[in-house]
Amino acid sequence: MYRSVIEWYLQRITGALLLVLLVAHFWVEHFMTAPLRRGELTYAAILDRISNPYWQAIDISFLVIALYHGLNGLRNIILDYSRIGKKAARVCTAILMIAGVYWAYLGVQAFKNL
Amino acid sequence: MKNSARLLVRKYSWQYSGMLAWLIQRVSGLLLLFYLFLHVLTINKLSQGPTAFDQAMSLFQRPAFKLLEIALLGTVVLHALNGIRITLIDLGVGHEKQRQLFWLLALGIGGLIFLAGAIPIFLFSILRI
Amino acid sequence: MNSVFFKVSRSAPGGASKHVQSFRVAIQERMTVLDALFAIQREQDPSLAFRYSCRVAMCGTCAMYINRIPRLACKTGIENLASETITVEPLPHLPVLKDLIVSLEPFFAQWKRVRPAFHFSGRNSQELARIPPASEFGRQAREKRDCITCGACFSACGVTGTNRRYLGPAAINKAYLRLMDPRDDAVEERLRVVNDELGGIWRCHTQFNCVAACPKGIDLTDSIARVKRAMLRPGRFREKLSETSGPEV
Repeated sequence: MYRSVIEWYLQRITGALLLVLLVAHFWVEHFMTAPLRRGELTYAAILDRISNPYWQAIDISFLVIALYHGLNGLRNIILDYSRIGKKAARVCTAILMIAGVYWAYLGVQAFKNL
Repeated sequence: MKNSARLLVRKYSWQYSGMLAWLIQRVSGLLLLFYLFLHVLTINKLSQGPTAFDQAMSLFQRPAFKLLEIALLGTVVLHALNGIRITLIDLGVGHEKQRQLFWLLALGIGGLIFLAGAIPIFLFSILRI
Repeated sequence: MNSVFFKVSRSAPGGASKHVQSFRVAIQERMTVLDALFAIQREQDPSLAFRYSCRVAMCGTCAMYINRIPRLACKTGIENLASETITVEPLPHLPVLKDLIVSLEPFFAQWKRVRPAFHFSGRNSQELARIPPASEFGRQAREKRDCITCGACFSACGVTGTNRRYLGPAAINKAYLRLMDPRDDAVEERLRVVNDELGGIWRCHTQFNCVAACPKGIDLTDSIARVKRAMLRPGRFREKLSETSGPEV
């Protein structure tokens, strides 16, 4: 089994998941409760939902899936330029993974001090 | 279509749809990645308390940002529908119709969805009808 | 139209001093771009250098960039181009040797990587290997084996322009043809090559330029997509290839 084929399938699978999650996310943030429908995008309006650990888990999963899809896409763009060799490609992959982890950490940090 | 006729049409009318789709996917993908970064930074403000968060949110209600929001909608729709087209092609569906898939699905239906979202945003949030 | 303006790329041996030279050529019915190049060489500038061989779209030697699309000059009818000015340039993504002549070295370097020659598993067999045309391999191979290695797909592809390691559509199509051949047994080696992270099948982004450029009408993107799909179970490559959905041959 080659690693590349899993990445290839995952890019498409995460893409499909993101489509569903994005529509759901938009509905949740703009239409789920009355204040949101009125356009009040405030801390108070969303506090109930984001204090709930189940919603937090869903949001973080959404973020991680989006990060995989986006950073893997960026990695593909970088690999298309042969100026980089095999070693540089590995370094790029490592940098992208670290960036992804940090990004996700920033996302989790949003739920601190609620 | 007879094979010779198909060759004629294919060779002598260059279809840029494949290249255009690839370029759109790449550019929109990079833009969306950039947006994701900014979005996470903004949501991160939740941890700084209600005042900081609400301040950032009210900034995004301004007409200039609403225009950016419309642009975001367009970018997402393009990337998503073209992504569907690419997935279909990768699964072996629609090779013969890849051009139509681009113009009708990605741009056609994409355009309709975009307008369905952009026009309300424009009317209610920018023109304040 | 009875005469057409040709803008032909010229250069010194080695590809230096690139410039464009214009020629006006009187057109006769059913004249091809190759005919026009002969006329220019015969009547206006004998130093014009270009390659040709069979003149009937079988050898692939006269592939050039005509009105910014890779085509066979012998097969490109001037009337079909429907244009007052025709630009003729050497194939892109390949080193220019002189005028319209390019070196196909990079193209064939990739070609050789997939071990394009047939590697028969039963080479000492005394029996004929039979492939009925209606068999799975017979049907699928029919459209994929016409490649004349003209280089048009390689030049049309947007990826070969930025990635020198990319195999290119022709090489991958050849690899596909051999990989699905039930008589061939160099499977492992070819699988390794096409799965190369930096230059294998995964660098294809379905731009479809190759399909549009191929003078033989081979659906190259389809070949590449089939190899990608089959990589999920490389051990079952041949059966997987047979099961893969796609256009009927």
